[in-house]
Amino acid sequence: MTPPVRIAQLSCGPEYSGIQHEIDTAAKEVNGEIFYPDVALKDIQRDFDLFGLDVRSPDLKLAIARAKELVEGRVEADAVFIATCFRCAEAAIVRNELRRYIHENSKLPVVSYSFTERTTSGTLLTRMEALTTIARRRALLARETQKGITLGLDSGSATTKAVVMKDNKIIGTGWQPTIEVLKSAQEVISHALMEAGIQRSEVQAVGTTGYGRFLVGKEIGADLIQEELTVNSKGAVFLADRQHGPATVIDIGGMDNKAISVMDGIPGTFTMGGICAGASGRFLEMTAKRLGVEITELGPLAMKGFAGKVPMNSYCIVFGTQSLVNALATGSTREDVASAACHSVAEQVFEQQLQEIDIKEPVLMVGGTSLIEGLVFAMGELLQTKIVVPPYSQYIGAVGSALLASGFIKDD
Amino acid sequence: MAKVFIYPSTSLILSDMVARYGHTPLSSAVAIREKIQTAGFESPPLQMTPEEPKKGLKWAAVEVPSGVRGRMALYGPMIENCEAAIIIDNADFAFGCMGCARTNELIKFLVRQKDIPRLDLNYPQNEEEGVKFVAAIKRFLNGLGGAK
Amino acid sequence: MTEYAPVLVGSVTKYVVVESFDVTPADLAVRAYEISKGAMIKETCFGLVINGKEDEVDRIIAELRKVDPDHIFIKDRGFPPGDPRRCRANLGGARPGYHGMEYEMRVIPYVSFGLEELKKRDENTVTPPENPLEHKILDIAKLKKMINAQES
Repeated sequence: MTPPVRIAQLSCGPEYSGIQHEIDTAAKEVNGEIFYPDVALKDIQRDFDLFGLDVRSPDLKLAIARAKELVEGRVEADAVFIATCFRCAEAAIVRNELRRYIHENSKLPVVSYSFTERTTSGTLLTRMEALTTIARRRALLARETQKGITLGLDSGSATTKAVVMKDNKIIGTGWQPTIEVLKSAQEVISHALMEAGIQRSEVQAVGTTGYGRFLVGKEIGADLIQEELTVNSKGAVFLADRQHGPATVIDIGGMDNKAISVMDGIPGTFTMGGICAGASGRFLEMTAKRLGVEITELGPLAMKGFAGKVPMNSYCIVFGTQSLVNALATGSTREDVASAACHSVAEQVFEQQLQEIDIKEPVLMVGGTSLIEGLVFAMGELLQTKIVVPPYSQYIGAVGSALLASGFIKDD
Repeated sequence: MAKVFIYPSTSLILSDMVARYGHTPLSSAVAIREKIQTAGFESPPLQMTPEEPKKGLKWAAVEVPSGVRGRMALYGPMIENCEAAIIIDNADFAFGCMGCARTNELIKFLVRQKDIPRLDLNYPQNEEEGVKFVAAIKRFLNGLGGAK
Repeated sequence: MTEYAPVLVGSVTKYVVVESFDVTPADLAVRAYEISKGAMIKETCFGLVINGKEDEVDRIIAELRKVDPDHIFIKDRGFPPGDPRRCRANLGGARPGYHGMEYEMRVIPYVSFGLEELKKRDENTVTPPENPLEHKILDIAKLKKMINAQES
């Protein structure tokens, strides 16, 4: 068995929130091992002073000293997990600054998380998996071209997507809403194979990602079963042809959102949000339904409207929809309402997640929601940049999986 | 014997002084010991489960971070039970149970709200201050009466 | 969720810390082994950790204090000695409370000095230390004196 990935924990509060066990469990599930970098008191005092962030909480001082130990190579680690209490301003500042400091001064992958007593190992699992993957599979993630014939499947919470790739090109795709996980997967695979004119037996390697990755992966005998953070990063830079240098990937999904800061196609820091459905693709789906348009028509409709005309002051999917209904009832146009819905989602992702990573251009938007041009426009306005939506952006996870799966083709 | 709340509650010096002069120190260790010696659901390392931050709601509202509320579930009962308190004000490097500045502010405030004998002082920084420190604590503890 | 079955229920654990020129942790351990009747004793770099029934631990501690009363300090510990949840070997780094103790170890010589001195002096004759909550304001007469001194 491969030795566990050594994950250094920098934290304040998890033991007292009753969730340290959840962190340890999530790490263990992906063959990771949490440890605490050893520092002496004199080093804590020196490093805390040198870092210059004058916080009061001793455990945060300790976290700062431990971060310096890691960056300066006095303690060895494969990855870093920063965790502090949700709603603590002092800790949020430390968390962000340490994440940035480690990201800029070392090659260590970092994930930061603000927990509550409700945080479970399930919530942390995808993040831990991404962390250990980046640490352990740098060689795999370095792959830039797809070879042979591979199949990638993304079993998402809202939709299931498949692509067939051959010699670095997408030759078949399949897409449908996720109903029964396995059945939806089989159907999109059949569609993608048919479009590609390829028999299942000709496929040389298969990769799965998304919520249903384990279930589907096991069923179809996948060579690679991988969480969506690393897979989507690879897919995004591949499709946008930005495999080298920095990039930022934003994926507003059906159930959660991902914001990933990428360097040379490998995620450095990332956040996953998903506490509130008001910041998800689901909200836009509900808006489209209420406006009596297909989700594909929502984007063009929004582009004709002006978000500022509709009061939207709720982050909740239920109350948010209520606001839209009220707006329509008081005479707002459908265009303005569509635009307001897009703006609301973009704003929430911007406020809640993009603050946690460093936005570096190009900013790539991927996933099904990237096809809603009103949403892309709203995000571009908030970030003051032109957003890049690569071709096949809705298939990002499937493409990333097919690309990485080609690393598993056995040479004859 | 009086139950004396000590701050920092992890302090070796205060714990020793209180016991040395015949009273009972209320320390984090005793609270943690109670947790790890009680059967329940597994939640290492401290056997504090997500229920603890909920118990902490008695001392801090729901918008207060879970780490503060969880710590208050440890310290709240100690503060309620104490009959006297010694507080070291410049304990800037007390970690773990005392690792959160916001919790520490709340602990000190709640202790100061109580109508009990209290001694506030700083760590000694030289021998002469050491004499004053020990003398003040000895006087304070003797003044409580009922020492063992 | 897994059920948790505690071990060593009803036992207490105490640290015995020695900060002395005359007595080493090893000396203390020898003495503790001599007088212990079944308590678990572990020697560490700063002293001992003793686990057992409360009466037994208290009895051992009372004896140990006699070895060097002004330089031996005692406090409770939540975990028994060598508990994997708190062991440095498992955690990679020291348990959080360790650094707090490390800090107090710098101060302890002053406390020991205080304890020694108070054998010779009555504590009631010692001036109280500064109360950190009292922010002293400058006495008006003193201020006037200072102004006059500047002017002359």
